[in-house]
Amino acid sequence: MRFNVGIDIGGTFTDLICVSSEGKTIVHKTLSTPQDSSIGFINGIREVAEMSGLSFEKFVSNIDTIVHGTTVSTNALLTLRGAKTALITTKGFRDALEMRRGIREEQFNNHYRNVTPLAPRYLRFTVDERMDSEGKVLKKFDEKELLPIIKKIKDENVESVAVCFMNSYKNANHEKKAIKFLRKNLKGIFVTASFEVLPSIRFYERVSTTVVSAFVGPIVAKYLDNLTQKLESINYKGTLLIMQSNGGVVVPDQVKKNPAVTVLSGPAAAPTAGAFYSQLLGYKNCITVDMGGTSFDAAIVIDNQCVTSTEGNINRYRIALPSLDIITIGAGGGSIGWLNSGGLLQMGPQSAGAMPGPVCYDRGGTIPACTDADLILGYLNPNFFAGGKLKLNKAKAEKSIKDELASKLGLSVLETAAGMYRIINSNMAQGVREISVERGYDPREFLFIVAGGAGSIHSSEICKELEIPMFLVPNVSSIFCAAGMLLGDLKHDYIRSYFTSFNNIDRKKFISLFNEMKDDGLNALVKEEGVAADRISFYPILDMRYLGQYHEVQMEANWDDVMKFNLENIFEAFHKEHNRQFGYSLKEEGTEMEIINVRLRVVGKTEKPKFLSGNSKNIPAEKAIKEHREIYIPELNKMKKVPIYDGDMPIFGSTIQGPCVIEKITTSILLTESYDCVVDDFGSFIVYEKEKFPKGYQLKNKKVTVNEH
Amino acid sequence: MNIDKILVSIFQRAFKSITDEMSISLTKTTRSPILCEAKDFVTGLYDAKGQMLEQTENLPILSFSLGPVCKVILEQYGSDIHEGDVIIHNDVFSMGNQNNDVAIFKPIFHQNKLVGWSAAKGHQADIGGAVQGGYNPNATEVWQEALRIPAVKLYEKGKFRKDVWNLIFANIRLQMVQEDIKAQIGACTLGERRLSAFVEKYGLEVFEAHKIALFDATEKMMRAEIKAIPNGVYKGGSTVYYDGKHKGSKFPIRTEITVRNEDITFDFSKSSPQTKGFVNGIYTSTCSAITLTFLQMINPNIPHNEGMIKPLKYIVPEGTILNASYPAATTFGNHLCPQVADAIFKALGPAVPDRITAGWNHLLCSLFTGNHPRTGKKYVDICFLGLKGGSGAMKNDDGYDHIGMIDASGGVLDQDYEMYEQQTPHRIVQHEYLCDSGGAGEWRGGLGTVTQIMLRGDDTTMVVFGDGDVETNYGLFGGKGSVLNKIELKYKNGKKLIPMSKDMIQGIPDNTLYLQIASGGGGYGNPKKRDKKKVLEDVKNEVVSKKVAEKIYGVKK
Repeated sequence: MRFNVGIDIGGTFTDLICVSSEGKTIVHKTLSTPQDSSIGFINGIREVAEMSGLSFEKFVSNIDTIVHGTTVSTNALLTLRGAKTALITTKGFRDALEMRRGIREEQFNNHYRNVTPLAPRYLRFTVDERMDSEGKVLKKFDEKELLPIIKKIKDENVESVAVCFMNSYKNANHEKKAIKFLRKNLKGIFVTASFEVLPSIRFYERVSTTVVSAFVGPIVAKYLDNLTQKLESINYKGTLLIMQSNGGVVVPDQVKKNPAVTVLSGPAAAPTAGAFYSQLLGYKNCITVDMGGTSFDAAIVIDNQCVTSTEGNINRYRIALPSLDIITIGAGGGSIGWLNSGGLLQMGPQSAGAMPGPVCYDRGGTIPACTDADLILGYLNPNFFAGGKLKLNKAKAEKSIKDELASKLGLSVLETAAGMYRIINSNMAQGVREISVERGYDPREFLFIVAGGAGSIHSSEICKELEIPMFLVPNVSSIFCAAGMLLGDLKHDYIRSYFTSFNNIDRKKFISLFNEMKDDGLNALVKEEGVAADRISFYPILDMRYLGQYHEVQMEANWDDVMKFNLENIFEAFHKEHNRQFGYSLKEEGTEMEIINVRLRVVGKTEKPKFLSGNSKNIPAEKAIKEHREIYIPELNKMKKVPIYDGDMPIFGSTIQGPCVIEKITTSILLTESYDCVVDDFGSFIVYEKEKFPKGYQLKNKKVTVNEH
Repeated sequence: MNIDKILVSIFQRAFKSITDEMSISLTKTTRSPILCEAKDFVTGLYDAKGQMLEQTENLPILSFSLGPVCKVILEQYGSDIHEGDVIIHNDVFSMGNQNNDVAIFKPIFHQNKLVGWSAAKGHQADIGGAVQGGYNPNATEVWQEALRIPAVKLYEKGKFRKDVWNLIFANIRLQMVQEDIKAQIGACTLGERRLSAFVEKYGLEVFEAHKIALFDATEKMMRAEIKAIPNGVYKGGSTVYYDGKHKGSKFPIRTEITVRNEDITFDFSKSSPQTKGFVNGIYTSTCSAITLTFLQMINPNIPHNEGMIKPLKYIVPEGTILNASYPAATTFGNHLCPQVADAIFKALGPAVPDRITAGWNHLLCSLFTGNHPRTGKKYVDICFLGLKGGSGAMKNDDGYDHIGMIDASGGVLDQDYEMYEQQTPHRIVQHEYLCDSGGAGEWRGGLGTVTQIMLRGDDTTMVVFGDGDVETNYGLFGGKGSVLNKIELKYKNGKKLIPMSKDMIQGIPDNTLYLQIASGGGGYGNPKKRDKKKVLEDVKNEVVSKKVAEKIYGVKK
C-alpha cells in the first residue's frame, strides 16, 4: 500500500491528511512547533504512522509524495523577521519601494503610518545605469560601481540582495550583469533580480515583489534545507512538493529560485480543494470559506479553476505574482465584541488570538469573543470542544458578556450573544460579497463550501444573508487545506511584457514570447520535476484593455489561437470578458485594443489520490443522536431543545432535519429551523434550505446522486 | 417602534458596503485617469429627505459635496420625482462644489414611495468652457470655465432624454466624458438595486426607524468628540498667495471657531473678499475642506452619515474668497483646502494640541499636454508624482512622507514610472525623497520629494496651478517649517525659467529638464527634544543631513 501525505502547518495546529492507494484516509491534527516547524512536521508523520498500524520505517518507505504548505514566508512578512535585505536600483529611483506610490490607506487617520520598508533606505543603493522605455541603453552599466556597494553590504552583514533596474522588463542585460558580478563577489548571500522574479512592466510592482522575494528568500531556503535533511534522516525517498500561492505545487529547488511564490502557500490550498470537491458533486463553480481563530478567508473557483489575481498584498507589502484571489477579513472564533463610542455593538477585527483566547478557554482572557457567544447560544458543547481536549467555561463567558456588553446595551446576555452572532455573520457575508458580487459573480450560482473549525456553525446565516440556498461541509472540513495540497497540480507562471496596440503587433514576436515561456515551463516540469510530456498543458493569458483605459483585464486565451495568431478569437473573448466584469464592451464602437503583458501558466497534472466513498457499516441517523440540548434558534429568536448528532458515526446517505447540531471532533455543524441536510457518500454534509431543495439533486434510496448542474 | 440595537449596527455595515461597491464599480469602469487612477469621485446614499445614509468619499475633499445637491434637487422637483428618473448636476451656484465635478442622482422607490437616493459624483476630464480640462487661469466668470448644468433629468420615468443628453455633450470636448457619465449612472443603478432590496427585506417602517437610530448614535459619537474640546472661541488664519492676475497679491483666510459644549461653529466671515480671477472657493467645497479637517482630528471610525454632519455649523458668507458670488470663476476653489485646514489647525492648536498637525504640503501642480512623438497622438498628463509632499507632524507621530496635499490625504497615487514613460514622451530622471525637507521637530514633518523629468517632444505646453512657493509649511510648538514648493524649467541652452504659481508656458522645446520640489510637512515640538536614536536613524538613512542633525537637533554622532 502506497501513501500520499498533505501537511499544512498553521499557528496552533499542524494538519495532516494521508490517503492510501486504496483510498483510505487518515486525518490528524498535531501541535505546531513554531520555533522549528519541521519538528511538528516529523511528529505528525510519526503519529499518522501509528494510526496506520505500520511501523514508522515501513510507513515512511511507503510514502510516494508529501505535499507541504508552509507559512514560513507569510510569517516573515507579518512579523518583519525576514533577512536583512539590500536593494540595488537605478540612480534617481532610490525610494520607490518605500514611497509605495504615495498611498495612505486610511485617509482620515493622521496617526496612520507607512509600512517599514523591507530594505531600509541606508541599504538602498543606486548605480548610474539606464535603459530607455524601448530597452535601448541610455547609460551603460559598469560593474565597478558595485564595488563600494559590495563593501557596504559586507560591512553591514546584509543577508540578501535584490536588484531592480528601470525598464529592465524591456532589456534585462544590466540586471543580468549585476547579479553575475554580485553572486561572484558575495558568496553565501542570497542575490535575486527582478527579471527572475517578475519580468513585467510597472516599476513599483516589480521592485516591491523582488524585495519581498529577497526578504523571505534566505529563510525559506534554510527552512527547506532543514526539512529536506530531516526527511533524509528518516530515510524518506519519495518526492517533496511545496504549495505555492497560485494553488499549484513545485519542487523545493524551484521555490528557492523565487521564494515569493510561497507567501500564500497555506490558504491557497482551500480553493484548490474546493475545485476538487465541487467537481465530485458535479459543480463547476464554488466559493470556499475558511473561518479559523482570527481570520475568515473567502475564495472563488470558476470552471473548476481557482481564480488568480496579481493584485495581492500581504501586510501592505505589494506582491504582484499570480496568487489565488483570496479575501481575508478579521472575523474568527477569537474576534472580540466591543461597543463603539456611539454605543453600537461591533465584532472584531481585533482578535483574542490563541492566547489568551476567548474568555471560555479559561486562559485569562476577559474580553468576550465570538466563541463565547457561540457557547452561550448552545452551538458549542463545553465538554466536547476539540473532542473534549479543551473544556470550555460557560459561566466565565456569560459574566464577561454581561459586564462588558449586555449591561451597557441594556440587553440580556442571550440577546447580546445572539447580536454578536448576527454581526459577525454579517461581516463574513460582506467578505463573501466582496469575492463574488464585487467581482461580477452572483454567489447564488455557486456551490458554497465551508472549511475551518469555526465555519459551519455560522455558515447558514451567512448563506441566508446572501440568499445562497445550500452549502457543503466536507468530511475533512477542519483540515481542508491539507487535503487541498494533495489535489494541486504542478504549476509554473511566466510573464513577459509586450506593450503595444494590436494595430502594431508583431506576429513573430508575439508567438516567440509564448514559445520562450513554454520552453521555460518544459524545462522546469520535464527536466527538474520529471513530468511526462503528455501530462503537460499550457494556459496563455493576455493582459489587455481598450486603448485609453488604465486598468487591464487578464484574459485567458486559447493556446491554438495564440500559436496561430488568431486575433479575431482573442478579440471576441476579450469583449466578452470585459462585458462580464463591467457590464459593457466596446465591440460595436470598434475601439482599438492594446496588450500590456503576455503570460503563460504551464501545468503538469499530478496523480490525484482516490478518496474512498460509501461505507458498508452504515447506521441510521437516529442512532447517531447522542443527546438533546438547548440552542438558540435565530428564526424564532429563542432557545429550543434540539437533538445533537455524533457526526463521526457512519451515517452516509442519511437525511438529518434541522434544527439540530451535528458534532464532530474537529468541528460542529449547525442546522437552524429552516435547514435540512444529507450526508453524502464521502461523509460530507450538504446543508440546504428546507423549501429550496437544491436543483439537480435527487434523493434515491437515501443516497444522494447528483445531476450535472 | 422598538429599536433593535443590533439591527442598527447591521444597517450601518450594509449602507457602507453599498457605497463601497458603487465606488469599486466606478474605479473599474471609468476611462479618465483622474477617475480610475486618482479616484476623484464620491458615491453616496441618501434618504427621501436628502439626509446622508452613508458615503464613500475616495478623496476627502468630496466629503460634503453630495448632500446639499440632493436637497436642491428635492426642492426643485417637489413631487415631480419618479421611478426611473436620472438627474445630472454640476452647477456651483446651486450647491455644486467644482464645475468639473458632475453628479448623477437616482431616486429609489419602495411601493411607489420615494425612500431614498443613490448618487455618484466624479471629476470629469472636460466640462466645456474656454480651456480643455477646466483649469483656466484667465477666467473671471463661470462661463469661461465650464458649462453650467443645474439639475436636469437625463432620464424621465426610465425614458432616455436624448435631446438633453445631446445638448450637454455638444458642449463638452471629450467623448470619454460621455462614457464616464454612463459609468456613474451604472454605479447609481447598483446602489438603487441594493438599497431597494434592503428596504424590501426589512420593510419601510423598520428601515425608517433604524435609520434614525443610526443617525442618533452617530450624532452622539460626534457630540462626544466635540465635548472633549474645551469651550471657547478660537481664532486662526492663513494666507492665499497670487490670484493669477496680480503679482504679489495675497488674500487672508480667517476663521473663528466657537465650541460650546456639544456644538461647534466654523465661521470664516472675516476672510478676504473674493478675487477677480479663478482663485475662489464655493460654499460646498469650503464646507468639505472644513469637514475633512475636523474629521482628521477625531476618531476616524465614526460612520459618515447625517448624524456626523448635524453638530457641525458652517458660516461662509457669500462674496468671500471661500464662497464667491455669482458669476465668479471658482475652479481653483478645491485647492484652497490646505489654507482652510491650516487656519483650523492653528485656531484649535491651543485647545487640543495633541489632535492637530503642523502644516501640510500645499498643492503645486503641472499639467503637460503635447503630441506623443511615438504614437502621434495628443496626451494630457497631470504630473501627480511630482506634486506630492509631506504631511505635518503631530504629537507622537512624525508626518507621513510623500502623501500629498490634505485634500487627498494619500488618496491620489503616483503614476508608475515605466507606464509614465510609455504613455508620455518624457523620461523620469529622478523621483526621490528630499533630504532635510521634513520640518524639524520632536516629531519630524513628513518628507517632501525632488522630481526631475526630461521633457521630450517639440511643442509641450505646461499649465501650472497651486501655491506653497511663498510661505513654508509651518511648524508647531517649537517645530520648524519645511522648504518651499518650486518648479523650474532648464532649457537646453542653459536658460532657466521659474513659472508663477498660476501660469501657462507654451512651446517648451525638446530635452528641457523639468525640476520640481514638493515641500515636506512642518515639524512639531522642539527638535532638541527629539529622540536621539531617531535623529541618528534619519542621518543614517540620509533624510536628515549631518549638518541639520548637529545644528537644529543638537545631535552629534
